Amino acid sequence: MTATEEHRRKRKQPVKDDATDGVFHKAVDMVMHSDEEGGSIASDTDDAVDEFPGIDVHSDTDEDDSDFEDDDEADEAEEVLQSSDEDNHIFPKAKTIISDITGQPKRVYPEIEPEYDSDSSTEDAPNRVGNVPMHWYDDLPHVGYDIDGKKVLRPARGDELDKFLLTVEDLSSWTSAFDKNTQMDKPLTTEELDIIRRLHANEVPDAEYDPYEPMTEWFTGKGKEEIMPLSAAPEPKRRWIPSKWEKQKVMKIVRAIRQGRIVPSKPKATAQQQFYPIWSEASTSHAPPLPAPKPKLPTNSESYNPPEEYLPTEAERKDWESMDFEDRERDYLPQKYSALRLVPGYDRFIKERFNRQLDLYLAPRVQRVKLNIDPQSLIPKLPSPSSLRPFPIYKSLTFLHNDSLARCLSVSPDGAWVISGDDNGVVCLWEVTVGREVKRWKFSSKVGAVEWCPRTDVSYFVVGIEETIHFVIPPNLSPSVYNLTYKLLAPATLPSPPDVPSAVKWTTAPSSSWSINLPILTVQLPQTSGLPKQLVWHRRGDYIASVSSGSNLGGVWIHQVTRRHSQAPFKKIRGSVQLVLFHPLKPHFFVATQQYIRIYNLSEQLLLKTLVPGIKWISSMDVHPSGDHVIIGGYDRKLCWFDLELSDKPYKVLRYHTRAIRSLHFHPAYPLFASASDDGTIQIFHARVYNDLMTDPLIVPLKILRGHQVKDGLGALQVKWCNHHPWLLSGGADGAINMWCS
Amino acid sequence: MGRLRQKGKAGAAKAYVTRSSAVKRLQCSLADFRRLCILKGIFPREPRSKKRANKGSSAPTTFYYAKDIAFLAHEPVLKKLREHKAFAKKLSRALGRGEWSDAKSLEENRPVYRLDHIIKERYPSFIDALRDIDDALCMISLFATLPSNPRIPPSLIENCSRLSAEWQLYTMRSKSLRKAFLSIKGIYYQAEVMDQTVTWLVPYQFTQNIPTDVDVRVMLTFLELYQTLLGFVFFKLYTDAGLVYPPPLDMKKYDGGAGVGAFSLQEIVQNGGASARPSLKVVDVDGRKVSTKDVRQTIKSMTTGGSGIEGVDVNMPSPEGEAQEADEDFIPHVSASDTLSASSLQTLKSLEALPQSSTPSLFAPYTFFLSRETSRPIFEFLVRSFGGRIGWESSCGDGSPFSSSDDSITHVIIDRPVVERTDETPEERQRRLRRKYVQPQWVVDCINAGNILLEEPYAQGKTLPPHLSPFGEYEGAYNPAVGIGAQEVAEEESEVEDHIEVDDAEESPEERSDKRALEAVAAAAAEDGSALRAAELAAEVAGVDPGAFDKEVEKSRKKMKTTNDTDDESDMNKMMMSNRQKKLYEKMKYGEQKKALERSTLETKKKRIEKEKRKQSKP
Repeated sequence: MTATEEHRRKRKQPVKDDATDGVFHKAVDMVMHSDEEGGSIASDTDDAVDEFPGIDVHSDTDEDDSDFEDDDEADEAEEVLQSSDEDNHIFPKAKTIISDITGQPKRVYPEIEPEYDSDSSTEDAPNRVGNVPMHWYDDLPHVGYDIDGKKVLRPARGDELDKFLLTVEDLSSWTSAFDKNTQMDKPLTTEELDIIRRLHANEVPDAEYDPYEPMTEWFTGKGKEEIMPLSAAPEPKRRWIPSKWEKQKVMKIVRAIRQGRIVPSKPKATAQQQFYPIWSEASTSHAPPLPAPKPKLPTNSESYNPPEEYLPTEAERKDWESMDFEDRERDYLPQKYSALRLVPGYDRFIKERFNRQLDLYLAPRVQRVKLNIDPQSLIPKLPSPSSLRPFPIYKSLTFLHNDSLARCLSVSPDGAWVISGDDNGVVCLWEVTVGREVKRWKFSSKVGAVEWCPRTDVSYFVVGIEETIHFVIPPNLSPSVYNLTYKLLAPATLPSPPDVPSAVKWTTAPSSSWSINLPILTVQLPQTSGLPKQLVWHRRGDYIASVSSGSNLGGVWIHQVTRRHSQAPFKKIRGSVQLVLFHPLKPHFFVATQQYIRIYNLSEQLLLKTLVPGIKWISSMDVHPSGDHVIIGGYDRKLCWFDLELSDKPYKVLRYHTRAIRSLHFHPAYPLFASASDDGTIQIFHARVYNDLMTDPLIVPLKILRGHQVKDGLGALQVKWCNHHPWLLSGGADGAINMWCS
Repeated sequence: MGRLRQKGKAGAAKAYVTRSSAVKRLQCSLADFRRLCILKGIFPREPRSKKRANKGSSAPTTFYYAKDIAFLAHEPVLKKLREHKAFAKKLSRALGRGEWSDAKSLEENRPVYRLDHIIKERYPSFIDALRDIDDALCMISLFATLPSNPRIPPSLIENCSRLSAEWQLYTMRSKSLRKAFLSIKGIYYQAEVMDQTVTWLVPYQFTQNIPTDVDVRVMLTFLELYQTLLGFVFFKLYTDAGLVYPPPLDMKKYDGGAGVGAFSLQEIVQNGGASARPSLKVVDVDGRKVSTKDVRQTIKSMTTGGSGIEGVDVNMPSPEGEAQEADEDFIPHVSASDTLSASSLQTLKSLEALPQSSTPSLFAPYTFFLSRETSRPIFEFLVRSFGGRIGWESSCGDGSPFSSSDDSITHVIIDRPVVERTDETPEERQRRLRRKYVQPQWVVDCINAGNILLEEPYAQGKTLPPHLSPFGEYEGAYNPAVGIGAQEVAEEESEVEDHIEVDDAEESPEERSDKRALEAVAAAAAEDGSALRAAELAAEVAGVDPGAFDKEVEKSRKKMKTTNDTDDESDMNKMMMSNRQKKLYEKMKYGEQKKALERSTLETKKKRIEKEKRKQSKP
C-alpha cells in the first residue's frame, strides 16, 4: 500500500463518519457542530494511524489536528464523489446479540428508515439550496441547507500548500473542479472530461453530434427541379462579353508602362538628396531674412589648459555649483588638464546644442543698436564750478537755537543782521559776520515765519505766530531810521478805517507801555486761521502777504502797512494754498496750491496762467529776480524750472535730493540759487538767465553743502541768501543756523 | 471726423498672432507647426506692447508676425505634412486590417518632402548660406559621433559623417582653415571661406548620450534642414573648385577606418561631347543616369547596382540618359554639369571665390607622425590643412602614407609621459634623436601663432605653456600673455621688504594701505584707475628708492584727490541728465565695472600665484 493510498484511506474515515452522521445525525449532532471535535473524533477513531509505516513524511511534519482538518477539507470533494461508489460497501454495522428467543447469537442490523436511508438521499448532494448565487453564503458559516432544513456547514478549505500537496499526492486532483454548490473540489466525470477534451481540440462538444450527416434534400435534387424560370428576361450581354471600359483602363496603364511613365516595381524613392547648383539662377528680389546671431566665441577660460589664474577658487566653484543653470554666467567651470589625452568628453555638449537650437526657433529676436560710446560722453558738458565762483563752499559759523528747530530766518536788506525763529517761540537777532546774538524776543507760540521789510529807509521785521502777525523794531537803529520806522508803524494819526469792517484787526501798542522788547504793531488774523506759515513782502515794502495753514479759505491775506488794511484777494480758490509770491516787477501774484501754480494779475483781477509742474505736493517756490523764471520744489524730491515765456510745463525737472525739498531761494544779485532738503544737504546751483529769448537758461550744479543733522526725518528747513554777498544762511531741524561763505 | 476705428482691426493687434491662433489658422498640429518653423526659420517676435498685440490680455504668450504665418500657409511642406497625416492614418488602418499588400504599396508611396525651395528662400545668395553654416557644421559633427538608436538610424549617422568628411576635405584642399582651439567642450575650428569666417565646434571622440531633457525630434528636424543646406553648399563649393561632388568613397578604405582618407577628390573631367550638349541640367552627380524609359534598364541597373553608387533618382527625367550609358561602367563620377560649371569656373567671381594659393602652408616642410594615443581625425585634419604630411600607426586606421620607420618624419606628435627605454637599438636611438617629439598642443599653437614655434617648451613630458584662445576676448580684457610680469611682482615684494627693513613699523602699513587704496581706485574707476596704475608702474620701473616711492605715493594721493574732485563734478553733472540717459549711463557703468572687476580678480589671482611660485622656488 503506497502512502497515498494510505492517506486516502485515512481520509476516508471521516467521510464514513459523515455518512454515519448523516444516518444518525441526531445522535452525533453535537459532534457535527464543531469541526474540530469531529476531526479529533475522526483521528481518535482512526485506527489507520496505527497501521502507518514508520516513515511518513506527511504525518510527521504535521501531526496536529488543524492540519489534519485542512487535509480533510482539501480532500472533501473527492470524498464526496467517492462516497457514491463506496456506499455499496458501507452497510450499517451489524451487531451480534444473543437472541432472547432462541438464545443463539444473531446479527441485528439497524432499522432502515425509508426516508432518510434511501439511496437517493445519500447519493444527492446534501446541499439543497438549488441554483442560487453561492456568494450569498459568503459571510455565513454554512453553505446551504440539506433536505431537512439543517444547515450544511461550510467545509474547511486548505491553504495553497495543502492544495499543492494534494496535487502531488492525489492523481485525480487535476481532473477535478471546484463545485460551488458544495464548496468543494469534485472530480469530473468521464463525460465531462470528454467535453473538455473536445473543446480543447476545437471539435463539436457534443459527442453525439455528427457534422457530416448526409444532406437531406428537400427542394433540390433528382426529381425536384424547378421547371419554370423566375424571370423571363434574356441573359444580358455583360454576362459573357468582356468589359470595354476595363479594357480601356488596362490599356491606359499598359501604355503608360510602355512609355515609361509608370515603372512597375519602382525602386524606393531616393534616400539621397540630389544636389544641383541652386544658386545659379538669380535670386528673388526680396531681401534675405536676417541671419541668426552667432554664438559667442570661446575665451581663454574655456581652454583645456588655461593659465592658472582662470581656474576658479573653491568658493567660486561652490557658488557656481549652487546657482541654477539659467543664472550662471558661464555654462562651464574652467578646468586644467596637463595633457590633451586626459581631457574627457564634455557631458553637456548635446544639451548645449539643443539650447542653441531652442534659441534659434523659440526665442524672439530683437535687433538692437549697440551703443559704442563712452559713458562719460553721456554726462552733459557743463562749465566747471571753479570757473563760476563765487559761491558758498564752507561753513563759516553756526548759530544755535537750543532744543528746537530753527524753522525760519530772514536777512536784513543791508545784509548785516539775521533774525531767526524757532518752534519754541524764540526770535533771535544776530550779526551775520560774527554770529553774536544781540537781542531775543519770546513769543507765546511757535514762530511760523519771520520776514524783514525790504525797505532800506525803515528797518523792521514781521513775525508770524499763531493767528497773529507782529511787527517788531530791532534795537540799535540810527535815530533817523528809528524815528521813521516808529512813525510808520505807530503813526500819530491813524488812517481812516476801511468802509467795510475787516475780519483782521490792526492794533498798535500804546506808546506808554511799548518797549523795544514788544512788537509795536500787531495784526490779528481771523480765528481758526492758524499759524501763518509764510510771509512775503512786496518789493516796495508796503504790502505783505500771509498764508496761514489753518482754515482752507481765509488762508491768504494781503496786508497794507501804510493804510493798515488787510484784504483777502480770493473769494474762492480751488485747492489749499501752499505758497504765494509777488512778482518782482509786475503786479502779478503767484499762488501755489498743492499741484498747480496760478499766476494772477492783481491790478486787473485776472488769472493769467496756470503752471503744471507735475509735482505731487509743492513745498517751495521762488521767482527769479528777473521775474521770468520760477523754480518749484516738491515733497516728492523734484525741482522744476519754469520759463514763464516758454510754456506751462517745466523747462527742466531735476531730481537730485534724496528726500523732500523744503526751501528754495534765488540770490537777488548773483546768478545762484539754493535748495534745502530733508536729507540735510543744501545744493547750490549756478542759474544764468539770458536776456535774448533764444538761449536757454544755464543751470550748473555747483556744490553740495552738508552740515545739518537729520532729526525726526527733517533736515535743512530754510535757506536764505545775503543780499550783497554770495553767502548763504540755512536753518535746520537740529536747531542750527549755518552761515556758508565763499 | 474720420470713420470710427474698431478695436483690434489695425496696428499691433493685427500684425501679431499668438502661437495657438497660428496653429489653428494653419490647421496642423503643434508638432508640425514647430517643424515648419524650424524649417522655414520663423521665430517668435516680441511686440512692443504685449497687451495691445494680445487684444487687451496681458497673459504670457508667444507672438508671431501675422505675415510670417500667412507665408507658412502657402508652404508646400505644410501640404506634404497634411498628406503624411492622411498617409499615416491609411497605413495604420491597413496594418490593423492585415492588408499587407495595401500597406506595402502605401509605404512605397509615402509622401516625402523636399527642402530645396526652402534653402533657396532662406538663403537667396550663396554667401547668405555660407554665413549660416556654423550651426549646421556643429550639428553634423556631433551626429557623426553619436551611436545609433531607434530614433537615430545608422543611415543618418553615416550621412552626417560623410558630410563632415566632405567639409574637412574641402577645407584641407582649399587651405582655408585659420584657427583652432582645444577647449574643454571640444575643438573649435575657424575657417575662412569666401571671406566668410566659419567657426564650428567638434566634440572630442567620446560616446555621447542624449540626455532625457533633450527633445530629439527638434534636433532631427534641424538636422534634416542642415543636411540639405550643407549638401547644396558643398556642391557649390566643390563645383566652384572644379571638383566632383560628392567625392567618391572608397568603401574598402572606409571600412578600414581611413576616415577622411577614404574619400578621393576628383577634378571634373570635361569631355567634348558633354560640352557640346546643350544641356542646362547640371544635376547629375553620379554620372550614372538611369533612363526611365523602360523597366528593363532599371532592372539592369539594379543588377549592376553593386558596383555603382546608390541614390539614383529614377524618376528624374533625363534626356541624356543614353549618351551616358557608354561611360557608365568605368567612370561613374563624371559630372554632367559641364557647360555651366565650366563657364562659371571662368568667371571672375568664382575665381575670387577660389581659395588663395598664398595661404600659409605652415607645415609644408615637415612630416608628422602620430603616436597612437593622439586623436587621428583632429591632427590629420589640422596638419593636412596646413600642408604637412602626416602618417599614423596602422592601429589608428588604414591609409597611412608611410610607416613609423620612415626617415622623412621630422616631428612625432606624442602625448604620453617620457619613459626611459633600455632596450634601444642604436638605429632606433638615432632615429629618435633625429626627430622632434612634441605634444599635440604645439600643432594648434603653431597654427594660431601663424609660425612655427620652438619645440622645446612643448617637448614630450614637459609641462605645457597655457593654451590661449585665438579668438581673443573683449577689448580691455585681462591678457594673460602680457599680464603682470613676474618682474613686477618681485619688485613689489622687494619693495615691501625694503620698507619693513628701513622704515619704522608705522609707515609701512600706511604705505601699503595707500597702495591698497590705489588699487581699490583702480578697480573701481576703470578709466582713471588704469591711467593711475600706468603712472605708478612707470614710476616703479624707472627705479625706485623708498623716498622716491614716498613722493610717488604722495603724488598719486594728490592725483587721487583731483580725480575725486572731478568725480564729484561729474557726479553733480549727472543731475542734469535726463532719466533715460541716466539709466543708460548706469547700465554702461555697471558693465564696465563688472569687466574691471573680472580683470582685477584675475590679476590678483595671477599675482598670488606668482608669489607662491617664488616662495616655493626660493627655499
